[in-house]
Amino acid sequence: MTLTDRYVAAALRRLPERQRPDIERELRASIADAVDDRLAAGDDPAEAEVAVLTELGDPARLAAGYADRPLQLIGPALYLDYVRLLTALLATVVPAVAAIIALVRTLQGDPVPEVVGDALKSAFTAGVHLVCWTTLLFAAIERAPALRRTRKWTPDALPEPPSRKARYGELISGTVLTVLFSTLILISPVVSPERDTAGNPIGPLSPWLWESGVLYLFLALVLATLGVTFARYYTRWSLPLAITGALVEIATAITLIWLAANDRVLNPAFVAAAGWPAQTPEWITTGLIALSVVTLLHTVTTSLKGSHGESHRL
Amino acid sequence: MHEDDELLATHLQELRRGTVVLACLLVLQEANYGYALLDLLERRGFAVDANTLYPLLRRLEKQGLLTSDWNTDESRPRKFYRTSERGAAFAEFLGRDWAELDAAFRTLKGES
Repeated sequence: MTLTDRYVAAALRRLPERQRPDIERELRASIADAVDDRLAAGDDPAEAEVAVLTELGDPARLAAGYADRPLQLIGPALYLDYVRLLTALLATVVPAVAAIIALVRTLQGDPVPEVVGDALKSAFTAGVHLVCWTTLLFAAIERAPALRRTRKWTPDALPEPPSRKARYGELISGTVLTVLFSTLILISPVVSPERDTAGNPIGPLSPWLWESGVLYLFLALVLATLGVTFARYYTRWSLPLAITGALVEIATAITLIWLAANDRVLNPAFVAAAGWPAQTPEWITTGLIALSVVTLLHTVTTSLKGSHGESHRL
Repeated sequence: MHEDDELLATHLQELRRGTVVLACLLVLQEANYGYALLDLLERRGFAVDANTLYPLLRRLEKQGLLTSDWNTDESRPRKFYRTSERGAAFAEFLGRDWAELDAAFRTLKGES
């Protein structure tokens, strides 16, 4: 097998079957012509063949030219959409997976190092999957021109500049609400309107929340949300901050869903003492879950929008 | 200096991209085959790499701008390309555009 045979075979292997005979014939003739030319100029036969093939270059590149195949995984037409989607997915799904795994493991009573290790491992796996499948999807679209439908960019897609004044109002109301909410929760066992037979107050919230310490975890999350709001106001947008914000919001919502779903929010003794109808606690639970789900969806959609806007600005 | 050369080569390549198509459509009013065309274009001032030209000829054929025929009269069968009617019309249009560009450049340089 000559060098030319090997070259031609390498090029043809990457071409559709029906094109091969014709291209092979032409390619062989072209190579032979070029070699003859060099021989006529007094070149050594072996050297002439090597020189001609070197000039023709990588057979894979030549084949891509014949088949009109792109020599890039994701081209400039799709690249920005690819980066936007990937950033949005990574910034939302990865922290959510880590938070869910950490929560589940904690509830199963696993030791802390194991919980952290599992959460990190799951987050890493989720990230690898997201990158892999998103990349594959876009590479496939790049190779199927029929699927390619690039949206025309219009100035409507520009991120809105948040008004500093409006955000200052948000900051103040957020602070006041957080302080009131936390205070109410903390003093609720003491100031409750219902009393037991000994005249001690019956708190409306489940005593289990205090015993297990989950209440403090929840309040810590609420305070962290406020912290993120402050950071958002006083610092520039940054990916770590956006991720932290989304992470805290997701963790808060999931904690609340889990508490409500397991009937850990209301104190049954309080419900009985207040003489509430049987459905009332159910309604409160359902309402809390619905509220948390809405918060979750809101977090995910704003994260998507946020990363979208930022990549425009880059 | 070396940096300048590289930059200049990049800009030259950008400027010349696409001119090979017009050159092919013009020169192939007379049928010719790949390797001879490579040589001919180089002598006419349109240096092009073999691995660019060969796929390009097939692409232009697929687009209906060139037609091809296998010539088996000689010991080495060769695929001859020739500009089609549609290709000639394209060459006419592209050539006119090139001339307009040239005129526009002259105006810019104040020669008018």
